[in-house]
Amino acid sequence: MQILRRLRGKNNEGILALVLVALIVTMSVLSPAFLTAGTAFSTLRSATVPLIFALAVLIVIVSGGIDVSFAAVAIFSAYTAVSFAITMAPELPAAVIIAMAIAIGAGLGLFNGLVIARFRLPTLIVTLGTQGIFVGVMYTYVGATYYAQLPPALAAMSSMTVLDFSTGTGRASLHVMAVVAIVLAVVVWWMLTRTMFGRSLYAIGGDVEAARRAGFRVMRTQILVYVLVGVLAAVAGIAHMVMGRSANPQDLVGDELDIIAAVVLGGASIFGGRGSVIGTVLGVILIQLINNSLLLAGVPSAWLRAAVGLLLIVGVGVQALSARRKARRVHTLDEDKSDRLVQEDVA
Amino acid sequence: MSEKQSPAGAPALGKGAQINERVGIATREFIARASANRKTGRMVVALLLAFSIFAIANPRVFLNPLNLQNIGVTAPEIGIIAIAMMLAMLTGGIDLSLVAIANLSAITVVSLYSGIAANDPALAESLTVPIIVAGVLVGIGCGMLNGVLVSVIGITPILATLGTMQILNGIAIVTTGGSTLYGAPESLASFGRSGLGPVPVLFVVFLVVAVLVALLVSTTPLGRKIQLEGANPVAARYSGISSRSVLMSTYTIGGALAGVAGVLFLARNPTASADYGASYVLLVIVIAVLGGTNPNGGFASVAGVVLATLTLQIVSSGFTALRLSSYEYAIAQGVILIAVMVLDAVAASRRARRPPRTAMPAATPDAPAASPEPTPVTAQKETEHS
Repeated sequence: MQILRRLRGKNNEGILALVLVALIVTMSVLSPAFLTAGTAFSTLRSATVPLIFALAVLIVIVSGGIDVSFAAVAIFSAYTAVSFAITMAPELPAAVIIAMAIAIGAGLGLFNGLVIARFRLPTLIVTLGTQGIFVGVMYTYVGATYYAQLPPALAAMSSMTVLDFSTGTGRASLHVMAVVAIVLAVVVWWMLTRTMFGRSLYAIGGDVEAARRAGFRVMRTQILVYVLVGVLAAVAGIAHMVMGRSANPQDLVGDELDIIAAVVLGGASIFGGRGSVIGTVLGVILIQLINNSLLLAGVPSAWLRAAVGLLLIVGVGVQALSARRKARRVHTLDEDKSDRLVQEDVA
Repeated sequence: MSEKQSPAGAPALGKGAQINERVGIATREFIARASANRKTGRMVVALLLAFSIFAIANPRVFLNPLNLQNIGVTAPEIGIIAIAMMLAMLTGGIDLSLVAIANLSAITVVSLYSGIAANDPALAESLTVPIIVAGVLVGIGCGMLNGVLVSVIGITPILATLGTMQILNGIAIVTTGGSTLYGAPESLASFGRSGLGPVPVLFVVFLVVAVLVALLVSTTPLGRKIQLEGANPVAARYSGISSRSVLMSTYTIGGALAGVAGVLFLARNPTASADYGASYVLLVIVIAVLGGTNPNGGFASVAGVVLATLTLQIVSSGFTALRLSSYEYAIAQGVILIAVMVLDAVAASRRARRPPRTAMPAATPDAPAASPEPTPVTAQKETEHS
């Protein structure tokens, strides 16, 4: 029982992993083309940008907020940096362009954070508003041109792979940006579990007032959260452009909900204070895999959107129902059950 | 204020004193209500301000009767969805699926009509009313789905409606095949074109719906329960209010309103597509918050939402008259939304910091004070809500 509980994970990550394994097994039975290194790597490739976004969303959700402007931040910062490089200084090295995008993303995040933390406003509504502002400012003042060609320094990164080998069914390659996403996942995991800043996010997300009284500087932490989201979003925006080999201002915005769905499916509580990087990674991969498998199974792509919605409702619904049952059970705690709860708290 | 009479502390308890007392209470209530609607008053100012700015900036285009009628025709569909959003926010929730519901209802009407009209155009035309009812019923069904997810299963409204928005949108894309459907009952279109004098009849429909919802919120037991549920769900539960049935009815009504809005889409323009009004999701939230709705629940005013709808439509059409792009309008929406919330937050914190002398008159509202001070009462009410 103890082991089962451990495997299940704090936020049902174990169940998610089980679902994932079941899906993979079913798919490989149904279609022999499925279980190959090529599929794995292409899933990883398509999951790269969503994963970076999901890490950003995870941080906000853990801290008790929600951000729907991250896609706007991503496209704004990456597109501004890239179009500046194309029109003004085509010889700029990739590192400078990326640093520029990150700086812009951090600035936009800072704006979100200042408005939200200073005036204690509802995060969903503020970021809905800033989303409109960011997209509008980009189209009006930065430009709306579609660039089919990236600056040479970034274009060189487009074909950069870390692993590249041929298998029986074709070539499989691991894009450099997928590695960036994995590294970022590890960094965010370390930050959330091993640093004071990460723990303060859980504290604030769990109960703002308690965190304040425990001595956390709530406002400063919240502002920092949104700056971090801006930085991660900018990286995701650059990754999107590098992997797509073009800069299109109409990209990304509109698919925010898939990312939020993935994070919530990964066990993060929308009320804050709960969530893990492992769960988020599993959630992102699950959604990518389901999309891929539905396409492989011949389901029209129009249904994908509905499938993600259905997945979200089922996932969250199950969580809500079990939480409701748990809430009812607490009132009839008997001796050894409460002992076990204490032990778990210690563990 | 002019009716205010001699001090109510007169010793005699004659008829005159009683009438005096009653007039005094009525005056106090009136003043209290007027300042409770401070946000509505603010919207009137904003509306007039927006109107005069654009009327001065480009009177030839903006004050053209055609332009004004256009505002009256486009405002209803947005306004009705905003009222539905306001209801959801009143319970402390949010409904992101409203626009998707409206589209699905419009698509239902168009596909039913063109399906029947393919065989028998006259029959389809005569079935206009049942077809429209079917469209609204689809809205009600979707609203009930939201209600079940939120109240029975207990999913947070934002996630539940996010999911249903995706699902309904997906269904809409599949049924339309991603393209725009044409064809709506001719009588619906002529209804949309007609007017009561210079006022478009769609606008009258909007006002009727607004008045009905306002009556629902302010005079019926359900409306009171919705407000209490939003103001303090725990207190509402301990007062014997079934949050399940309250939420269920709120989201169902929201779905019905969205269904009506979908029919209005068609009355204005006989086409339906899955991605119509994608920008409305942000817009209706802006309108609801601008109209004085507290996103945390418990406080909202239909009049404020109606005024906010008109203000934003005036800004939108004024931007067009000044040849500004839709992206600049998006910036304006975002800036207005955040500015309003920041101003509210600043005002609320200023009120909260005021010394607690406010408690006295609020605790004894019937005290025979010579000059009843209504502002503290409302001030306290509002801090409770926020």
